[in-house]
Amino acid sequence: MATSPGEPEDIIRPILNTSKKYYIAFGVAAAIALLWSAVYGWQLEEGLIVTNLADWGSGGGSPWGLYIGAFIWWVGIAHGGIILSAAVRLFGMERYQPVARMAELLTLGALSMAGLYILVHMGRPDRLVLSVVPAYPWTVRTSPLAWDVTVITLYFVMTATYLGLTIRYDVYHLRDRLPNYLGPFYSLVTLGYSEIEEEVIERMVWWLALGIIVLAPLLLHGGVIPWLFSLVPSMPGWDGAVQGPQFLTIALTSAIAGVIILSYICRWAYDWEHIFSDAMFRGLTNWLGLFGLLFLWLQLQQVINGVYAEPIAGETAMVARITQPYYIFAIGTVIVILAYIFAQAVDQRQFSLARSVVASVLMLVATLTEKVLFVFEGLLYPHFSLYEAVPGHYFPSLVEFSSLAGTVALCTIFFLVILKLFPVVELHAVEDHHDDHEPAHDEEVSS
Amino acid sequence: MSTEDTQNDEPKHPYETEDSFHPLGEEWEDRMREELEDTEYDADLGMEMARDAQRLVAGEISEEEFYAEYHDDVAEEFEADDRPLFDDVNPANHEEIEDGSVLDSLAEMDLQGEETSRREMMKKMGAGAAFLGYGAYATYDFQPADGAPDNVSGIRPAPKDEREHRWGMVIDLQRCDGCLACVAGCINENGTSTGANWMYVFTYEDEDSEQENFLVRPCQHCSNAPCAKVCPVRARHTRGKDGLVLTDYETCIGCRYCQVACPYGVNYFQWGEPDVEVSRLEHLDMRPEEVRQLEGGDYDDRDSERYQALSDANDHVYDYRGRWTDSRPPQGTMGKCTMCPSRQDGHTDNPKGTVACMDACDAQGMSAIHFGDLDDPESRANRYLERRTEVEDTVLEKWEGVEDEDLDIETTASPTSEISTFRLLEDLGTQPNIVYLGNEPGPETEQTEPPTPYEVYSGSGNKWGVEVVDERKEHLDYGPSGPPEQEGEEGGE
Repeated sequence: MATSPGEPEDIIRPILNTSKKYYIAFGVAAAIALLWSAVYGWQLEEGLIVTNLADWGSGGGSPWGLYIGAFIWWVGIAHGGIILSAAVRLFGMERYQPVARMAELLTLGALSMAGLYILVHMGRPDRLVLSVVPAYPWTVRTSPLAWDVTVITLYFVMTATYLGLTIRYDVYHLRDRLPNYLGPFYSLVTLGYSEIEEEVIERMVWWLALGIIVLAPLLLHGGVIPWLFSLVPSMPGWDGAVQGPQFLTIALTSAIAGVIILSYICRWAYDWEHIFSDAMFRGLTNWLGLFGLLFLWLQLQQVINGVYAEPIAGETAMVARITQPYYIFAIGTVIVILAYIFAQAVDQRQFSLARSVVASVLMLVATLTEKVLFVFEGLLYPHFSLYEAVPGHYFPSLVEFSSLAGTVALCTIFFLVILKLFPVVELHAVEDHHDDHEPAHDEEVSS
Repeated sequence: MSTEDTQNDEPKHPYETEDSFHPLGEEWEDRMREELEDTEYDADLGMEMARDAQRLVAGEISEEEFYAEYHDDVAEEFEADDRPLFDDVNPANHEEIEDGSVLDSLAEMDLQGEETSRREMMKKMGAGAAFLGYGAYATYDFQPADGAPDNVSGIRPAPKDEREHRWGMVIDLQRCDGCLACVAGCINENGTSTGANWMYVFTYEDEDSEQENFLVRPCQHCSNAPCAKVCPVRARHTRGKDGLVLTDYETCIGCRYCQVACPYGVNYFQWGEPDVEVSRLEHLDMRPEEVRQLEGGDYDDRDSERYQALSDANDHVYDYRGRWTDSRPPQGTMGKCTMCPSRQDGHTDNPKGTVACMDACDAQGMSAIHFGDLDDPESRANRYLERRTEVEDTVLEKWEGVEDEDLDIETTASPTSEISTFRLLEDLGTQPNIVYLGNEPGPETEQTEPPTPYEVYSGSGNKWGVEVVDERKEHLDYGPSGPPEQEGEEGGE
């Protein structure tokens, strides 16, 4: 494929031109988002009774379900996205520089959707601020959910700062080619800009990237989010220190899948074959394989630990999980995807962009399924198993399912708006005339 | 008092476990001592003070006692003790001794303005502070720190000498026949919605025996409640004064983390509109914020404006703090057994020290539930527990004496085994405040159909006319409109 680097004109084309496809995409996304907001309005009106959630115990249900599963999924995509972008900056992985900003944007979009899911999950979302803030200095010492709010906020701030700093350079240098009606926005973004700051900004961004790379596994998706579950004494299905690494690998897998899909759509819509090269997609596909493999490995650890000489409660939970058809579907899907990735790594002729995109979509479906299952399966098999109604049952209602469509639509709208505001590919990526021929590297990654 | 004396004649200090009184162990203690010995002052005194500082933060001794104990020693050692004497300690602070207040006063010690001695002193204090810090960390959750807003409560009962009660129950499972009167009593008292059986009774069978067993399951009101710990807004909290684990319905955001963290499954969320409207529960014609604004008193203060208002209205919704914690929750918030805080705060027509389920059980002639202050040996709960174990002891003693003689013992209790007591899932460290008398369900037990179905109390079987079911899920799955065409089936038997 073409390997000539793009031109600045390429990356600002989405801002200047609006195609029919854009309007259609916007219209469809807006319609879905509106429809879902009506559904959500109904939930607000009637209460969470419109979901298929119920009390565990004598009630025979699961109090958490798709909303929390989807929350972890979105947070995972967000965390993985920024890790990818930070890795590009820290480790000089230039091949992926064109998608670095896309990954950052995905982080902001996905994190917003995760935040929205917290709201959607609540019985009394109206109280979120007034209840959380006054008690925060005390709850943050004891409640994993308060830690969770903390890290999500931290992450949002870090990512937004990161993005805010890096777009200054682009906007400043492209300013005279950008449309005037967005003048105030660009003035705000480049407030106080001077060329001597570039070196300083580079350093700041480097340190931010370092912070993100260090914090993510220790505190964020490898820490606080899994601790929400693994720290409670009641549910053996959630036990274990493996949850941290497990959550992180799933996050990275989902994020790479998300980036592949997004960059593929942009490449298709804006003829960016020379910017998002096949070689880059092959590399991303291999990374998807690597993290997918880690995902499977940690699942295997849990399954073996769960079914072999585990106390009764733990074994019951694990056996229930591995015999659950949706679990078999999720893990089976990951195995099939890995088979493709392995095949294309060994024999490049097996690679095709379409196959990688399909693999990515399926991977996201698999990780979402696993996350939702993780949440409610854990709740169906508590330590205290005397209740006849336990294990209960749960299958998301249409109201809950519609939230998936709604949040994907909202995230799409977010991207469509961003496409009109500033370049989604860094100016640096098209300025640096780097070489993309590193076939040996692909095999290294995938093995 | 010299430090040598204290070392010799102190029999066994509560914090002296094995070789070290310090939770971090002997090695740590030795390091602290070395550091103290580097200074020109008495290391023993430093260690003594550090040890008692731990007792202070644990609430075993008061701040005054601490100062009084060491005043002379400190004066002798440092030629002055400008720390506040107990007369100077503001009485308002006594109840909530926090590490900060002690540290502050220690830090304020003015050692004649001499730089060197101050530095030495700080070194000693450093060692003391390390102990204090640890102690404070271990006890911080008893009560929120000073300056906490009104709606922020603690997650543990206060230490024994600072609380008024520790409410709990002794439930005699051998007296239970599964009539579910307690379940109905709770519904009548609290107006809970269909299937939200705050009081729940298991009927179960063991694998080996066909015998029908019962397990009465209210909220366990744990002293180390996982639900209160995980709450991100402190809506679920523990009242320091009496250990009741309650939900502030006005703060709860409905995240259901308490429900997830509770190992007993006692929480029931208000998924939709409650079956019983608030107007039928509320006897006080005031908004919640107005109730809170009324001049309120301390626990058991019967003269306050708020107490009078609640008492006049025979209120069953607010507690003494004016917080909406009693009766069924509003939509979108979490409910569970409350152990009737409005009764315990004395402003209902029902006496303090009673709960609705116990009253119903007594009325049925079963008296399996015995509510009371578990701290008080004279409470109904403790007296019952004592009596039941005594009966058994007598039987055992008789057996010891009879040996080879003909056996002719007339007793209903089984003479071959001691009556067992247990707390549910105690090994999870929740410190539940429900003590059961009888057999603990084993891992192979299975819940079976109750002799009295829950549905018996549906409709006219309860005060509100609501439907009563065992399993709630099906009822909820119908959504906001409720199950179709169910009205005709209600009614007691």
